Amino acid sequence: MPDVEAPVRRTGAASDRGTLSEAWAIARALVWGMRITLVNMFRKPVTVHYPTVERTFPNRFRGLLALTYDKETGEENCIGCRLCEFICPPAVIKVEMLKAEKRNYAKTFTLELYACEFCELCVQVCPTDAIIMMKSFDLSTSDRREMLLDKDRLHAIGLQHEPSWATGNKLRDMQAPPKKAAGEGHAAAATGGDA
Amino acid sequence: MPDVRAIDYAGSERLTMNMGPQHPSAHGVFRAILTLEGETVVGVDAVIGYLHRCHEKLAETLAYVQYPTIASKTDYVAAMSSELAYVMAAEQIAKVEVPKRAQYLRVLVGELQRIASHCLWLGTWCMDMGGALGGGATIFLYCIRERELVLDLFEALVGARLLYGFHQVGGVRYDLPEGWTDLCRRTIDLIDSRVDEYEHMLADNPFFDMRTKGVGVISRELAQDVGISGPLLRGSGVDFDLRRAYPYSSYEDFEFRVPVETAGDCYARYHVRMVEFRQSARIVRQVLDGLPEGPISSRPGVKSLAQVKVPKGEAYARVEGPRGEVGCYLVADGSNKPYRMKWRGASFSNLSVLPHILVGASVADVVAIMGSVDPVFGEVDR
Amino acid sequence: MSGFSSLPPALQATIMSAAVLGALIGILAYVTLLERKFAARLQSRIGPYRVGPHGLLQPIADGVKLLLKEDLIPASADRPVFNLAPIVFLVPCLLIFATIPFAPGIGVADLNAGVLFFLAISSLEIVGLFMAGWGSNNKYALLSAMRAVNQIISYDLPFLFSALVPVMLAGSLRLSEIAAAQAGLWFIAYPVIGQLAFLAFVITAVAAENRAPFDILEAESELVAGFRVEYSGMKFAIIQLAEYAHVLGTSFLGALLFLGAWAGPGPAWLGPVWFLFKALFVFLLLTWVRWSFVRIRVDQILRVSWKLMLPATLLLLFATAAVIVWRTPHA
Repeated sequence: MPDVEAPVRRTGAASDRGTLSEAWAIARALVWGMRITLVNMFRKPVTVHYPTVERTFPNRFRGLLALTYDKETGEENCIGCRLCEFICPPAVIKVEMLKAEKRNYAKTFTLELYACEFCELCVQVCPTDAIIMMKSFDLSTSDRREMLLDKDRLHAIGLQHEPSWATGNKLRDMQAPPKKAAGEGHAAAATGGDA
Repeated sequence: MPDVRAIDYAGSERLTMNMGPQHPSAHGVFRAILTLEGETVVGVDAVIGYLHRCHEKLAETLAYVQYPTIASKTDYVAAMSSELAYVMAAEQIAKVEVPKRAQYLRVLVGELQRIASHCLWLGTWCMDMGGALGGGATIFLYCIRERELVLDLFEALVGARLLYGFHQVGGVRYDLPEGWTDLCRRTIDLIDSRVDEYEHMLADNPFFDMRTKGVGVISRELAQDVGISGPLLRGSGVDFDLRRAYPYSSYEDFEFRVPVETAGDCYARYHVRMVEFRQSARIVRQVLDGLPEGPISSRPGVKSLAQVKVPKGEAYARVEGPRGEVGCYLVADGSNKPYRMKWRGASFSNLSVLPHILVGASVADVVAIMGSVDPVFGEVDR
Repeated sequence: MSGFSSLPPALQATIMSAAVLGALIGILAYVTLLERKFAARLQSRIGPYRVGPHGLLQPIADGVKLLLKEDLIPASADRPVFNLAPIVFLVPCLLIFATIPFAPGIGVADLNAGVLFFLAISSLEIVGLFMAGWGSNNKYALLSAMRAVNQIISYDLPFLFSALVPVMLAGSLRLSEIAAAQAGLWFIAYPVIGQLAFLAFVITAVAAENRAPFDILEAESELVAGFRVEYSGMKFAIIQLAEYAHVLGTSFLGALLFLGAWAGPGPAWLGPVWFLFKALFVFLLLTWVRWSFVRIRVDQILRVSWKLMLPATLLLLFATAAVIVWRTPHA
């Protein structure tokens, strides 16, 4: 601990220029500062009148989670493999698998949206693009139980909002290094320096 | 713990004042018990830990693929640097090569994050010095307006504005979408011109000079003794920048100037950061011009929890964040979770200089100094 | 108006005071909204918008809210001092409007030492301020009150001197005579002296009213609202009202001393409207300065006052006297 009897240091010693030039500098600074605020006054305000006006979401927006149906057959995409449950960092997903003849389903699928991190890892690991994120963040509610989403609500959200770009397969394709066999000039770029 | 409600009249005019955890200019949750004599500080007792969320223990329970998203929460103003430090540490132990394109993308987001972080620093510092309702708030709102542009860029790239999860072991998770480079260039140009405006507003401004010149001087010896880093160090005359001294992630490919000032006061640190704004923009432009084609990761994207296993070993990875050296010390034991992870928070080490420079300053200077040290308490308390 | 003048003078004064007070409080409420919207536009945002069309009902909503708030008194506060302080602060700030003539003949009391009365009464608010700081039994409030006393006392002198320049030019302390003397040329248009005096007036007014960049006594980021920190509910509303009343009063004084008060094109009944516009112009000028600058420290504020403003305004006063002597034709 420094010496508490330290003498008062004369901090903030202003310039030792004369009073007149200091006055001139103050005046100049005043005018300049006020000029910039005045210029800003005539710029368009950046306020977005939410909720009357919604701002445009970027394509990759990580919003609400939803379960999807297959576009052609109308069947549920989720096969209950539980990969999303294992990868989820705050462990908010709980899935029970239902075995059937041709394929498996999810018997129950609960997602605790109030604890979700929106990290998109569940979307990334899903092999069938079943779980995706939507371009919406309409989460506010006065009852936390409304944010404990079950399978029906997740499917309903999927039909209600616009989906984001990312699905499991698209993300994995984007991140996958090219296979050696298919190298067409990619192989050269695959070597890089140390991290 | 002194009874902070009692006004201490005994003897001299000593007053114990609590700049408590809830304070508009505490930059987060920071408690400084100041002993004042009149308006001068004669003693500082700093109390931290209000934001402790057990990150280091959390990392032991999360796999290498799960943690990077949360790493953003330590230094939440400069999220990308924190993620990078963790991922680099894991890559060092596992000896994973990162493709060139991924390295360039990491530099790109790192520098954009530096611009965003300095925007926030400038805004909050001026707000502290000018009051929430006074002129300071004006600059604060302007800077936040610019920071929003950078965050919009990140949102277009990643989908999120804070918990990015952009980095993964082996590279990055997201590639640039269509039209992003043009948007980025336009944003950088706009930010450059706006930063010019702010500099004009503050340069040669006797009010600003009075509050920052000669205030909070960190001498060169003190800077090197105490272990601070980043703009604090460079403002005191020590020419040390990790991007130059120990280049990582292809920083050696880029041309940029590392600003160094010798005065060591708040004004010097301000000047260092203003130059860093411009240099970051310069690096971003160089990255965009020279971005190579190729894969964005040398490991496939995350498909399962047990995918990334790091062999036994330990490594310390350092990153030059906007506040200084952010480091991650990782001890791996061959499984998919680290055995132990330790964050070296830049702000934590930077705060250790406070008792030295706060003594002798007046109460108003305390605020200016805290702002120029620019702590982020997520990093301090983890 | 003839019916009015036939009433007994006491009743005339009462009605006039009530009218002025009523109009004043109404204008003050909307002046807060004006400041908020103006500041918002300076900051690239919109300001109050939802409460009523374009936020026009915001002041009323604020008033209702503050009425309904719990009135907290700290347990260890000095109760009589604490409770009286807002009132002691408010009364001088409202009283300054007593001497301002809003039109030739309309005004509560056109004293023949109007300027003096204005400046003397407006410095009484320091008492209320210090009472608030002391009665709160709070270190932040105390520190801020000490700074306030320092600052306001230091700046009242240059404020007085800069206000004395129009007095000397008009030759009278009576406010209506000063306004009438500007029928030909507004005092601000007097070469060099007028503009310098106005500049000095604006700067010292900003300081004497604790507006940024001299608002060290409030210093939200350091002292968290300063002397008002322990006040809530209606007492806080009274303090806010008093502050805005003081600022508005000084704006009216500035408009009267320098901008010709009610002089303006159009019929005579438009005079008070012009006066209001000019006062709002001065007010917006002060607001513009407030939102553009970082604050300076209290010792620097005092330095500026004693070493810069006081000599400067004294010199200005001497210069004005010299000009008047030079221009007065000798018999």
